[in-house]
Amino acid sequence: MSDQTFMGVPRKDIPWCPEIDYSKCDFCMECDEFCPHGVFERRDDEERKLVVAHPENCVVFCRACGKTCDPDALTFPDKKETTELIKRLREEEAGGDG
Amino acid sequence: MTDKDTRPDAADVVVLPCSGLDKEAGSASRELALRLQERGAALVCPVLYQRSPKRYEKPLSSGRLVVIDGCKTGCASKLAAERGLKLTDRLNVSEAARSRGVKPGKDPHLGAALEELLPSMVDELLEVRAPEDRAAAASELFAAPVEYREFGVDKFVFRVPVAGYFFNENDCWARVAGGRARVGVSDYVQQSASDMVFFEPPAVGAEVSIFDEVGSLETTKTALDIISPVSGKVVAVNAEVVEAPELINQDPYERGWAVELELTDFDSDRELLMDSAAYFEYLQGKAAREHEELYGG
Repeated sequence: MSDQTFMGVPRKDIPWCPEIDYSKCDFCMECDEFCPHGVFERRDDEERKLVVAHPENCVVFCRACGKTCDPDALTFPDKKETTELIKRLREEEAGGDG
Repeated sequence: MTDKDTRPDAADVVVLPCSGLDKEAGSASRELALRLQERGAALVCPVLYQRSPKRYEKPLSSGRLVVIDGCKTGCASKLAAERGLKLTDRLNVSEAARSRGVKPGKDPHLGAALEELLPSMVDELLEVRAPEDRAAAASELFAAPVEYREFGVDKFVFRVPVAGYFFNENDCWARVAGGRARVGVSDYVQQSASDMVFFEPPAVGAEVSIFDEVGSLETTKTALDIISPVSGKVVAVNAEVVEAPELINQDPYERGWAVELELTDFDSDRELLMDSAAYFEYLQGKAAREHEELYGG
């Protein structure tokens, strides 16, 4: 997935993925069961039994897993800032070194 | 109860609630269902329905289905989706309570603060929406026939309009005409997500920025947000799709539109979108990649 792009920008340059607030997460795994893109990974033997293991798999601007989280433990980056970042990266790409 | 006669009744409603034993919001969901039953609604017990679905064939085939979820786990919604039931309305008690300033607790007993909110939730569920709120305005703007191109991947055939549509990489489209846009999801989305069973529209009048959620869809397989390709104000939602979400499966680019927006910044939005030809090319690559990941080429 490392060569994936989103809107012409390398996906790895767009920091869009859920962040787990471990003070709220009750490890019900609803988000992991919901997400078809393999963003989360279960760690049964660790204290943090769920981690965002593959942030680059998260569909930029998608927040659907957050709707499955009853304790509201998932947050996402600011959408406007992300849009602005994508615009800036696209301009840089189009403008080359200049 | 003094105003009982003036409020809408629930004679045509079938309620599928959360089973109500896991936490307080569940109890509230169960209590809401009982209050709707007092107003004439038919109840579907979620546990019995799983065990003996035939018992509910008759009410489910004739009434409008309202699902009440206790929390975001959405067991009742999932049950409805698994059975391919079409919803006409849905309420999530936790979200409804939080929006009214009450946070439901973990203890499954119903507390006074949440109980006090139940009458307003009953009213919300029985609210008769004003037709003008959902009316499609200026439909003649979008009456022109649409031509399509298609391509195949294995047994799947995907259609994309030849022109006049703009797409984001979330596979949502905007058909733009006369300062307005209709927004929906692509043929690729409807085929991947399977049968649509519920469309939760945004509020008419809502201000939307590009990439904001502009409604959500529930299918027999999954749930997804409609990510708006354009900025604007919601001027209409497609009442036909609210009533019959399967229209999105049948005709995703025309009759299956979701919302209509008055555009506010299309010149700027357009820079971030693909036109029909670019999306066709993009989708060919995406569909081929996904097919390879799923079936190994």
